[in-house]
Formats: sequence, C-alpha cells, structure tokens
Amino acid sequence: MHPAATRERVIKPSSENSSRPPDPGSASGVAVELRGITKRFPGVVANRDIDFTVRQGTVHALVGENGAGKSTLMKILYGMQRPDEGTISIGGEQVTLHSPADAIARGIGMVHQHFKLADNLTVLENTVLGAEKLHGIGARARRRIGELSDAYQLGIRPDLLVEELGVADRQRVEILKALYRGARTLILDEPTAVLVPQEVDALFANLRELKAEGLTVLFISHKLGEVLSVADAITVVRRGTTVASVRPEETTSQQLAELMVGSELPSAETRDSTVTDVPMLTVDGLHLSATDTDGVVRDVLDGISFTIHKGEVLGVAGVEGNGQAELVEAVMGMVDPDGGAVTLDGEDLSHAPTRRRRESGIGYIPEDRHRHGLLLEAPLWENRILGHATEEPNTRGRFLGVPGFPELLALRDARTDTERIVSDYDVRTPGIEVTAASLSGGNQQKFIVGREMSHHPKLLIAAHPTRGVDVGAQAQIWDQIREARREGLAVLLISADLDELIGLSDTLRVMYRGRLVADADPATVTPEELGSAMTGAATGHLESDEPPASAEPPASDDARPENGTGGAK
Amino acid sequence: MSRFRSKFDGYKLLLALAAPALALIAAFLLSSLVIAATGKDPLHAFAVMIDFGSKSDSQVWIINKAIPYYLSAAAVAIGFRMNLFNIGVDGQYRVAAFFAAVVGGALSLPGILQIPVIIIVAMAVGAIWAGIAGVLKTTRGVSEVITTIMLNSIAGSLIGYFLSEDRLAVKDGNLFHTPNIPAAGHFFTIPTDPKPIYGTVLIAVVIGLAYWFVLGRTRFGFDLRAVGRSESAASASGVSVKRMVVTSMLLSGAVAGLVGMPTLLNESYNYGTDFPAGVGFTGIAIALLGRNHPIGMALAALLWGFLERTGIQLEFEEYAQEVVGVMQGVIVLSVVIAYEIVRRYGLRMQQRKVGEELSARARTDANDDTAEVSA
Amino acid sequence: MRRVTKLAAAVTATAALAVTATACGESSTESGGKKNKGVGLAFDVGGRDDHSFNEAAAAGTDKAEKKLGVKTKEMTAGNNETEATREQRLTSLAKAGYNPVIGVGFNYGKSINKIAKDFPDTTFGVVDSGSAAKNVSGMTFAEHEASYLVGVAAAKKTKSKKVSFIGGVDNALIQKFEAGYVKGVKDTDPKIKVETDYLYKESDKGFNDPARAKDMAKGMLSRGNDVIYSAAGQSGAGSIEEVSKVKGSWAIGVDSDQYRQKGLEKYRDAILTSAVKNVDVAVYELIKSVKDGKPLTGNQTFSLKEQGVSVSTSGGFIDDIQSDLDKVSKDITAGKIKVPSKP
Repeated sequence: MHPAATRERVIKPSSENSSRPPDPGSASGVAVELRGITKRFPGVVANRDIDFTVRQGTVHALVGENGAGKSTLMKILYGMQRPDEGTISIGGEQVTLHSPADAIARGIGMVHQHFKLADNLTVLENTVLGAEKLHGIGARARRRIGELSDAYQLGIRPDLLVEELGVADRQRVEILKALYRGARTLILDEPTAVLVPQEVDALFANLRELKAEGLTVLFISHKLGEVLSVADAITVVRRGTTVASVRPEETTSQQLAELMVGSELPSAETRDSTVTDVPMLTVDGLHLSATDTDGVVRDVLDGISFTIHKGEVLGVAGVEGNGQAELVEAVMGMVDPDGGAVTLDGEDLSHAPTRRRRESGIGYIPEDRHRHGLLLEAPLWENRILGHATEEPNTRGRFLGVPGFPELLALRDARTDTERIVSDYDVRTPGIEVTAASLSGGNQQKFIVGREMSHHPKLLIAAHPTRGVDVGAQAQIWDQIREARREGLAVLLISADLDELIGLSDTLRVMYRGRLVADADPATVTPEELGSAMTGAATGHLESDEPPASAEPPASDDARPENGTGGAK
Repeated sequence: MSRFRSKFDGYKLLLALAAPALALIAAFLLSSLVIAATGKDPLHAFAVMIDFGSKSDSQVWIINKAIPYYLSAAAVAIGFRMNLFNIGVDGQYRVAAFFAAVVGGALSLPGILQIPVIIIVAMAVGAIWAGIAGVLKTTRGVSEVITTIMLNSIAGSLIGYFLSEDRLAVKDGNLFHTPNIPAAGHFFTIPTDPKPIYGTVLIAVVIGLAYWFVLGRTRFGFDLRAVGRSESAASASGVSVKRMVVTSMLLSGAVAGLVGMPTLLNESYNYGTDFPAGVGFTGIAIALLGRNHPIGMALAALLWGFLERTGIQLEFEEYAQEVVGVMQGVIVLSVVIAYEIVRRYGLRMQQRKVGEELSARARTDANDDTAEVSA
Repeated sequence: MRRVTKLAAAVTATAALAVTATACGESSTESGGKKNKGVGLAFDVGGRDDHSFNEAAAAGTDKAEKKLGVKTKEMTAGNNETEATREQRLTSLAKAGYNPVIGVGFNYGKSINKIAKDFPDTTFGVVDSGSAAKNVSGMTFAEHEASYLVGVAAAKKTKSKKVSFIGGVDNALIQKFEAGYVKGVKDTDPKIKVETDYLYKESDKGFNDPARAKDMAKGMLSRGNDVIYSAAGQSGAGSIEEVSKVKGSWAIGVDSDQYRQKGLEKYRDAILTSAVKNVDVAVYELIKSVKDGKPLTGNQTFSLKEQGVSVSTSGGFIDDIQSDLDKVSKDITAGKIKVPSKP
C-alpha cells in the first residue's frame, strides 16, 4: 500500500493558531523557547526549523510518530547534540548548551526512555552519584531526598537497591535524580511506553503535582490519548519539523493523529473473523528452564499450551521479561525446550533445527531486528537471502547437480527479488546495494516483513512488529498481517502495545512469569483488564462486569488500529 | 532506482581505489621518515628495492616465497570471515607438514599416488589440529584465540619430541629431519630461468578459486559470512552457529595444512629442524593486508615476498636490517587504518544519501500538504 | 562488490603480464663485479654482538682486518628465516665479489653447500657444519670436550651438589654441549645432581631470547643449583645476569671468553670460566688461506688437541683446580677419557 493512496487533505484544528503558541492562559513566564532549530544528521530525518515555546508551570506535550525527530530535539535541548542552526532560550535567556552538565546547570532535567541507573546501588546512591557536591552523600542528601519525595509524592525509599525496584519505581527514581540536581524543567522521553495503564495513572498524578509546584514538564509521546489527558499544550512534530501547536481542549486524538501522519488515518478494519477450525500450530506443555546469573534454576517457560488455527491471530500480552522472548525462541528452534511438543500443520518440529522450521513454513519477524533479523553491514540483497538461503529464489541447487556438493546461491535472482520486495513493500531506499544499517527502522522492518511474507509461510511469528516504527510503516505492517490472516495464515503476535494486540488479535493470552495465566476476547477486553493480568493481579478468563465502552468503538481516538481506548484516561 | 545504483557503483569503485592508494602513500611516507631517521637516503632505498626486486631471479624468488604466505593467509581469512581468530595456523601447518613428511618419507608409491597421499595427510592433520580449538569453543566455550595459541606451543613440543634420531627423524650433521621423500613424491616445477617456479603455485591458485567460489557463491559460504557478521542473526536465520564454528575451523586447518607443502614438496623434501616456522603469523598480516579477498591476499603475499627479497639487498646496501620489518608493519597498519577510514566514510556517504532521499521525499510531501491546505 | 572484484582481477592480470614480460630480462646474478672485495661474513641470529658465538667469529675477521688488511662485509640472520633467505644472503655476498664467504652457524650448512656450486671460484666457509662441496671449508668443533672440562670445574666448585645446564635449542649441536658437561660432572662426583633444560624445542629464537634464559636460570637457582652452564648464544647473557644476583653461585660461559666481554662486564665476577670455541682462529685461518692463494677446503675439526676448544681462565676463579683440569685435558687428548657427543 502506498501512502499516496490514502493521502487526503489535512484538517488542521485551528489553522490560525498553528504558527504561534497557544494562549498562555496565565501570567507565567517562558520556561523554554526554541527558534529555528535545524539539525542535519546522516541517515535520519533532520530537524529543520523547529519552533516552539514552553510556558512555565505547564505540562507540554511533544507528539509525533517514531522517527519524526522528537528524540533528537530533546537531545539538543539537553545538550547532548548541538543544533546546526537556531537558538535555544531558557528562562528568557539565550543559551548555548555544550553538554548535559550545561543543561542541568540551567535547570533542565531529563528522564530517558531507557533508565540510566546502576542496579547494584541503592536509590540514595544512585541519586547522589555524580552530584556529591550538592548535598554530600550522607544525612544531608538523605534529608533532601526525603523532602523532594514528600513534596511531589514520589514515595521514594532511599535504601532499596535499584534492582529490587519495578519499572515504575525506577522511573520515579529518575525523576527524583533530576529534581535533586535542581531541575525546574523536566523532559520525559516516552515515559509511558514501559508502564501498564495503572502505573500511567500514577505517573500522571506525579506530573500534576510537579506542575502545581511550578515546575515545567516536557512530555514526549506518541500515545495521543495520554497526551490529551495530561497536557496543557501540545506541539506536533512531523518529519523533523513542528507542524502545529494546539491546546488539548480544542482538538481530538483523531485530528492530532492526522497532524502527526500528515494524512487521514487508514480506516478501522471490520472485524470479519477468518478463523478456521484447522489447527496450524499446536504447542503442548512447553517447558524450559534456565540458570540465571546467580546460579538459580528458574522455569522460564512452564506448561505453555495453545493452538493457532489457520487464519487466526493469537496475541500474547505481558510485561517484558515474562517469557515471551523464550517462547518465540522455542517455537523458532533457537533454544531447545526441556519438554513439550511443537507441531506445525501436522509435522512434529519439537526438536527440529531452526532452518528446518523455516523451510517448513515459519516466517519470523524478530523482536530485535538488528540482532536477529538483519545483517546490518551487508547490502539489502544479501539480507534478502538471510534465513531463506535454501529456498527459492535464492538457491540454484547443488553444484553440478551432484548430491553432497555445495548448494549454490542464485545471486541474480536474489537481487531481482530484492528489487521486487523493495517496490512491493514500499521500502524506501536508494537501491539494493546499500547496507541494511543505512535504512530507517520502519523501512528495515518493512523489508523484513516483505522477506518473510515472500516465502508464503504457514505460521508467522511477529514479535513487536511495529516497535520503533513510524506510523506510516506501522499501518502498512498491520495491513500485511491482516492480509496474511485473510489468506489463511496463522499468526503468533507478541507485543507490548496493548492497542496493537487488541486491534489485531483473534484470541488473546496473557503471559506472566513463564505461564499463560489468562485469556481474553479482544472484542470485549480493555487495556486496563489486560494490564492487571500482566502484573499477575488477575488470572483466568478476563471478562468485564459491564460491557465496556470500547466494545462499541467510537471513532477511534487514537492512532491505533481499532477499538483502542487510548490507554488510561 | 537504476540511476541511484550506477551512482553508488561509481562511488564504490572510487572508494575501492581510494583505500589502497591512501595506504600506499601513507606507508611510503612513513617508511621514508623511518629510513631518513636512520640517517640514510630513503629514495635510494626505494630505487634499490625496485631495481633489485624486478630482476628475473627476484621475481621467481618472490613468487615461490608468496605461495605458502598465500595459503596461510587463506587459512586465516576463512576464520576471519566468520569472526574467528585462528592464530594457530602456525602450529597447524607445522604439525601437518611434519606428519605429511613422515608419511611421505615412509611410503614409496608412484608419484600420482604419493603426492595426493602426502597432501591429504597434511590437510587432515591440519584440520584435526584446528578442529580441537573449534570443538573446545563450542563445547566448553573456550576462546579460539587462547586454544590456538596453546596448540601452537604444543605443536612445537610435539614435533620437537618426535624429531629426534631414536624416534621419527634421522640425523644429518647438526640437523634432525624426517627421512627424505622419494623422488616420485616431488612436486613438479615450472621451468623458468635461472631458477624454476614451484609447481605448488597451482595449489595456491586452486585454493584461491575455491575460497572465492565457496564463500561468495554457495549457501555454505553465505552461512559462514552471516555468522561472521552477526551470530545472533545467523542463528535466527537457521544457521547452526556451533556446527559452523567447528566446520570453519576444520576448513581453516585443512588449508593451513597446505602451507608447508611448497617447502616440503618443492624444496626440502623432508621436515627438519630447519623447516620454516612463523608463516602462520605472516598469514595473519597478509589476510589483513589483502582484506580477506582472494585477489587482495595474492597481491599482499607477493608484496610481502617482494619486501623480504629486497630487504636483504637493503641490508647489503648498508641500510639497517630492521627497515624492512618496520616497512611491513607500517604497510599493514596503513592498510588497516586506511580501509577503516574509507569504510566509515563510505558508510556515512551512504547514510547521507539515504537520508537525503528520504528528506527530499519528506519535503515534497510537506510541500504537497501545504499546497493542499492552502488550496 | 562485483565491480571491485573485476577491478582487482584486471590489476592482477596486468601485474602477471608485467612479470612474464620482464621475467626474461636481466637476472640479478648477472650483474655485479668480480673483483675481490674482502670477506663476506653472514652471522647467525643474534648478530655480531651476541657476546658468544657470533662474536667469536667476528673476532676472527677483526684480526684479519688488522693483520691481513682485508675488508669485511657483515650481514645478520633474522628469526624464523627460511632456506631461501639464507641462500639469497650468501648469494648476494658471493655475487658482489666477496671471498671467502663465511656462514656462522650450522643453519648455513645446507645453503652454503648449495650456493657454493653456483660460485666455483669463491671459497666458502661454514662454522659448525660439514663440507659437501669442493670449495667449502666445514669448520666443526669438539664442543663436548670443552664442555667436559667445564663440567669438571662445576663439579669441583658446587657447594649445593646441584648444577645445571641451559641449552638454547634442543638440537644435535647443543646436545653435544650437554653430553660433555653432564659426563664431566658425573665423572668427577657421581652424587651431584645435574638439571638440564632447553629454552626452545626447535625454534632459533632460543639463541636470542635472554629474557627466557633469565627466567629459566631464576628457577634453577631457586631449586638450589649453584652452577649454571648456558650454551645458548645471546640468550646466555640472561642467565649470567640472573646468576650474578645470587651470591656464591657461578655461571659458566660459552663459545667466547665471556669474562672478557664488554657487554658482560657487570657480571664478570660471576663467570667462573667459559667453554671457549676458538671460532676466531678457524675463521682467521680460512681468510689467511684464501689471501695466500691456498684456500682451505673440506672438513676441519677443531678439538682439544688442536687447541680448537679450550677453557678460559680469566678472572682466576679456577686457578685452584687448574692442575686437575690440565690432567683431565691430557687424558682426553690421549684418548683415556672418551667424551660422548650425545646425551
């Protein structure tokens, strides 16, 4: 599907507003102002002519699809990157930031998407690490941490080891770290990506607390429902530049999404079930134990059983690290399970090597495409061969046709077929000779999807298929999965994105500590219900007491495939 | 698309030429500096080298010298292509040549049988010696760097043990060596004037062709390179990494087993205490220099031979004996650095082109949007 | 990549053509003068200043320069050399008109006898190896006899009744040293323990790796050995240095009178004696014979009888046992004592 096919006119919510910031509403001053920021950067879309103003004492959201340039922009503001053009003003004073230390000195704090904490140190130690000069490392520091924790209701326990903390607590430690260093403006990079809905609510409560104390929060997200619920002002970034600044009460998530994508969203799919009663993949009693770093043997997979039928998408929800990755590896044959059976279309593959499983018709979109899906330094056409070196069109049979002689590659056919994938799957690349590493994440992923689908698999394993992928590519990948399902493919979908899971799956399972603890009907389940099962709070068949609002989806209020509820509100 | 492709190829060609040119210039300048620092005239040194190195007997000498170097480099390169560092080529070829010499000296078959038997024994012994490292890596997780170094040392002692009169050797003056291989087991030579070129040069050519073909054209070669580029991706793609490690170590060892053949079958006809050692390490330098490319390594092996040939002449002309050693080092460093610089530059260029194209599209799209809005 | 391959192929093809085109050209051996330029001396690894074997040969050419007025051209072998390299070195000396051309060390045995056939008008000499061509003088020494004598000295001087031997490389030549030494010790006092070891099993590095000899000597000293005889070329300096650190222990030098060597001056008080190979005499005699127009050829053995080997007395540390040594020496030359050349 080419984006041009669906491109429509953009409706800007308040076009007269789009080039100037929303009315401040209060007399508070300007915390941060960026003017004409341009950053040229090899390989990714550059920032160009970024303009926006953040008022003091507000939660300001910066939204845009993945790869639109939000993170680069934040790195510029935090002193990690220098802009090629443009100016940054903090508190009305124009500044040049050479390093994060400069930014911290000017009251900017940052909470990265991937936390930067030392697991084997306590919360206190992590907080004072590198800021020992402020309040020492002893009682004074402890007192200060206590004050901050109380003032913003962070609930910090300074003597716990960070490795004992959950994700949400770690995030609060990161916020504390920034505040401890005197931050008046906090940048939060995709803070909700790692949280379950209940934790998101708690985070938002913290943010409101910060705002009430006069701090400024710059909140980066692509989850529009969340943005609308917490932000006072919203700036939309698309393809490296600011395209609109809007106020949440004047817009809808549909409009925001269209601003982000620059075109009308693909319409929600009608939920025609394509599920047949022909089992394609049967997993029975799969068990895998592993020895962790402390030498303790744990069950990573315990009694995993499920069946995926032809034309069915089975979604597996779960907080990362609960065995989803191992499940995928066991089905792919990358690890050998201790017990249990894997049967594909009647063929027993329990202990077959990965290559035979691939030849038998398993397509694989890996969770980490850089580690498992691509040879980054090899040209695209060699990546075309990866994983399918024994299959048409990449092979020419054995040398001179003699059994036992080496199998030959059909390099010309592989190149030609790479050209086909590039054009059929809209992989944006200057050619097939460029290395896979040169492509953007979305295009790499489209290429992988194209490659796997080209071999007409019976089962497609899609692990986080749209992670780190821009909205345009996301829509295309979803379309591919739906298309495959219509043609009778069985799909095992693993995702951390609950809306994606609910939107695409025919059946939902929840994984917790290596077991499938709950199942749900995607037509009726809410992300909150899934969230509580993911934390182990609910098991069995998840059923709402009352039919949730999302069962009859309103016009989608999120850039999500269908019946997404946009997270917590 | 095609316009882009041709442009890219143009760049690639330019980059491919840029690296060796850069390396040669750097090596030339640095060597000149070193020679000048010893108080001698660098230009005269180069003149001597070129003049002496181009003499007909020098050419033959260089080619003969380059044969084992090339084979050694190929053995190392097989490991390099899959990210294995086979430092043990040195031990592998010596053990292989030793046992091949023992078998060759004990047998007396017609040449058509004798020579293949010797070669097969050498390849098998080399493969076994390297295979030990491969098996230890896959079963016990021991780094092949460590095991192959240890195996080098063990190889030396093993040969030293057997290479005595009451065991497998005969005494000849102050030397011990294995019994001579009968004339039927001597490899042919290509008659040139004044000295012949060793016929074993054919073995090197065959290995070069096989290296190119297997690595570039077969599924096995693809799997091997895939493991070298990303073990995790290769394993997800269905390559059994463990089996690949063992197989490639076996192959590398088998080729290493051939390294001693030019000397054994064309020159000494026995393995003695004076059998050349250290060729395995030279092979590492040559594989680096030749960028693991079958033709690149051939050029590198010849260059190495050239430097050694002309180095003695330099000493004769009162230049410091170490000058050539320094030059060899400088050339390897220059090449490695130059290729890395050019590679990074190329990658940046490529990313920039991709980025440019994408932002060009983005701009067009953005312009379209504006146009639509204003319409 | 394919373009690159093609390019490389083209380059190789051109290079190959260039080779074939010029291969019919001039050979380097065809040029060069015929006038005698003096002595060509090819050292073994370690080079002129190894304080041992090479240095002894150099002493011979130095003497010739002084007394006969001939010039010397010196070249040195590197580690891990091959036959081809040695042949080339000798060829370039002979071709340039040096006469005689002398190879120091048995490593040159094969190559000298081979090259000699290409230069029938030049006299070649090789130290420690036999002659196999008309115009080659093979100079070999009775190292085992001198070693026997220093063995006797060691047995008389040891207090701990433990002595040891370090060989550079475990080859036939160095085994001669070991055999003589061990026999000398045992014949004097069968109760003395002799520890023998080699630096390398088969690599020429053994002759220029003083650090390894130092480590080995350290180990031997710590095990109570108080006399160490090192037959390891340049490496010997390492063990001598180590021995000098332990009071009451003795080092025995080899090949040259190591007490008198400048480079070892600091440690001279620890050098009991040296098993001297009079390489200098042999080399000088060869040069003189060429100069006189009656070149020596064939095998020549230098034993105790011809004073080809001897025991040095510098430092006077063995003056007290000199008479015993003289007696043993006499018995050897008279054939009363048979010294084995293999351990």
